[in-house]
Amino acid sequence: MKKKNGTLALTLLMLLGMLLSACGGGNPSSNAANASQPSEEKGGSTAEAASAETTGLTGTLKVQLIGGFTEEDKTDPKTGLKTKGVGALKEEFEKRYPGAEVNFVLMGWDSYNEKTQTMLQSSAADVYQLPGIATFAEQGLLEPLQPYIDRDDFDLNQYFDGQVDGWKAMGPEDKDLQIYGLPFIGDTRVIVYDKKIFDEWGVPYLSKEPTIEEILEKAAKMTGKNPKTGEQNYGLTFNKSDAADTVMNINESKGGKWGTGFLWKDMKLEFNSPTMVEALDLMKKAKEYAPEGVMAGQGAENFLTDKNNVAINLRSAPGFVTDIKTNGTEDRYDAALLFVNPEEKMGGMFAGSPFSIGKSSEQKDLAWEWLKFSASDFYQQFMWDNYKIESTPVVKASTEWASVKEIPQMSVVLDAMGRLWAPRYPYRSGQPRYILSENVEKALLDSASSQDALDKAQKDAEEWISSQK
Amino acid sequence: MIRETIGRKKRRTKKAVSGTWVWFIFLLPTLLGIALFTVYPMIESFRLSFTKGAQEQYVGFENYRHVLGSGSFHQALFNTFYIAFFQLLIVIPLGFVIACLINSLRRGRNFFKVLFYIPNITSMVAAATVFLVVLHPHGLLNYALSAFGIPETIWLANPNSARWSVILLASWHALGFGIIINLANLQAISPDYYEAASIDGASRFKQWLYITIPNMLGSLTILIILGWIDGLQRFTEAFMLGGHTGSPARSLYTLVGFIYERGFGGLEYGVASAASYLLLILILAFTFINIKFFRMKI
Repeated sequence: MKKKNGTLALTLLMLLGMLLSACGGGNPSSNAANASQPSEEKGGSTAEAASAETTGLTGTLKVQLIGGFTEEDKTDPKTGLKTKGVGALKEEFEKRYPGAEVNFVLMGWDSYNEKTQTMLQSSAADVYQLPGIATFAEQGLLEPLQPYIDRDDFDLNQYFDGQVDGWKAMGPEDKDLQIYGLPFIGDTRVIVYDKKIFDEWGVPYLSKEPTIEEILEKAAKMTGKNPKTGEQNYGLTFNKSDAADTVMNINESKGGKWGTGFLWKDMKLEFNSPTMVEALDLMKKAKEYAPEGVMAGQGAENFLTDKNNVAINLRSAPGFVTDIKTNGTEDRYDAALLFVNPEEKMGGMFAGSPFSIGKSSEQKDLAWEWLKFSASDFYQQFMWDNYKIESTPVVKASTEWASVKEIPQMSVVLDAMGRLWAPRYPYRSGQPRYILSENVEKALLDSASSQDALDKAQKDAEEWISSQK
Repeated sequence: MIRETIGRKKRRTKKAVSGTWVWFIFLLPTLLGIALFTVYPMIESFRLSFTKGAQEQYVGFENYRHVLGSGSFHQALFNTFYIAFFQLLIVIPLGFVIACLINSLRRGRNFFKVLFYIPNITSMVAAATVFLVVLHPHGLLNYALSAFGIPETIWLANPNSARWSVILLASWHALGFGIIINLANLQAISPDYYEAASIDGASRFKQWLYITIPNMLGSLTILIILGWIDGLQRFTEAFMLGGHTGSPARSLYTLVGFIYERGFGGLEYGVASAASYLLLILILAFTFINIKFFRMKI
């Protein structure tokens, strides 16, 4: 019995040992045996590392991607369309750089900032998709890219205007904004409207760059019983969760801006400026023409389908082009540009994703090659062909692609890409974002006046910022 | 003689230990799991609650002061208590009444047990998605209410009705558990009591009032204690219906929502950890009061 127990215990311990050893990662240094060494180990500067030869790069490159990416091909359950896995990118890169091996670390959007933080601190990858770039640059976890850009004379003009500036951030030692990431996924918002409803009401379509007043005037005309069908129509709708971003964008069209500064210690907010109050009042007016459930995110579910009863959507993501194709309503919906600050010539929340290189990566040169690869026609077209719903091209060359030209609404989307506010609103990476949303929502629910709501937002956000200094 | 007795005892203890040590090895994976995934994160979170920023600069009790003085924390506290209180007020009496009705059935008991328990094993995310349709301005709830002449309500656009929407969803989800616990207790009451009461001429209502209810206090107490612990940790229902900001106007912003927003939304791990410990203290204190109040023996 004693012997039996001992054997049982030994087997259990062996199993436990196997389990624990399986939990451990591989040794990263063994993968990077042939890789170029980090600049610090060479005793040189980053610039010296950047001057290393870019040919003959070998070793394993770990690339982290966030979102609906898969390594294998898949079929979209909604559209039934086949989507190629990112394995095709790996294959192409390895073909271009013989001796290099790409390993992807794919993850979802849930808690992506925390996962990325852990990965950066433990050098779990070389290249990172970093929509929250500012937070990580500030901690000194990212490699500055300017030396690499200078070394290879890399052309930043190939990107849409503002796309590189939008992702600029500040490291712990920086005095001004620097490049820590290059865009590879574009995102923007446009106004989308239903031409059929406009026709039925005899209202002229929106101009390409409408003002908020034009939108409100036309929305007012199209709210009520449709003269042709008799069904209830609504002039417009908006997304309650980003209503504060719409208010900010209207504020920009009135000459206002979110504030100044980049790091918390230098930041000055302008949440309760006269233009912001005017913008919030206009938003309250807009709510009168929206479905009753707009503040609950309800009532416009049929937008983009042929059963739609809402004329204008104030903020649509570029993925709407996929939806109208799936719904067979490509001819019914058109797009118009959101608002810009008349002086700055830009406006709207900058979004998308850049690629960055981890400061502790042992494959910085190869990682830099991946960043350059992500701007190539192959990469950008791959993303557009397979991940349209979450990726808009970031390079100017995309305007000439046949697959882009065949979608008329895309010209507006690509125009919008070059007009986003850059650098992106830095207040959104902390509590001021939630404070502004909460108070805008209160004003839209009529539980506070626009002035009171924005005064409170300004006060609370300033208090929070001062606690960060 | 004494030496012999001690020797015998020692031998027995040694034999007992050598015979059972292997079973401690079997416990090792679980103990390791608890140490790695529960104890260590708790200690680490406690340490983080005294730090600030990615550099983890020591700030003493500043995070605790910040949380306790924060308006959004107070709002979260109010919402959490409000939803938990009314949910328990609905679920416990209703669960008890339905359990009594099921218990009195001669046929179809199992059918009703299963029917009422199904919501409890349904994923909250899936249930909340269905509730979004039910609570739609043109949804089932408004349709049913309109039959009684009650005007259409935009349930999720008004802070009060939004809170009640969560109460409704949480009650629907928890009712089955309340019924099962009550039923188990009901079936444990000796039929002799009822038989004796019938002989004495007690009506069905009096039997229920003087026999059933006093015998049910144990299960009702455990439901209240577990309900409060669960209610103070509320997140999924509120998150699904109100998003991570607890929309509309923070009415669905709960204590765990506060921790989630600060920790995962703004990377303020220090503040989120301090709030987590405050929540832990709150749950401990509340459970202690409940146990004392209901004189429960644990």
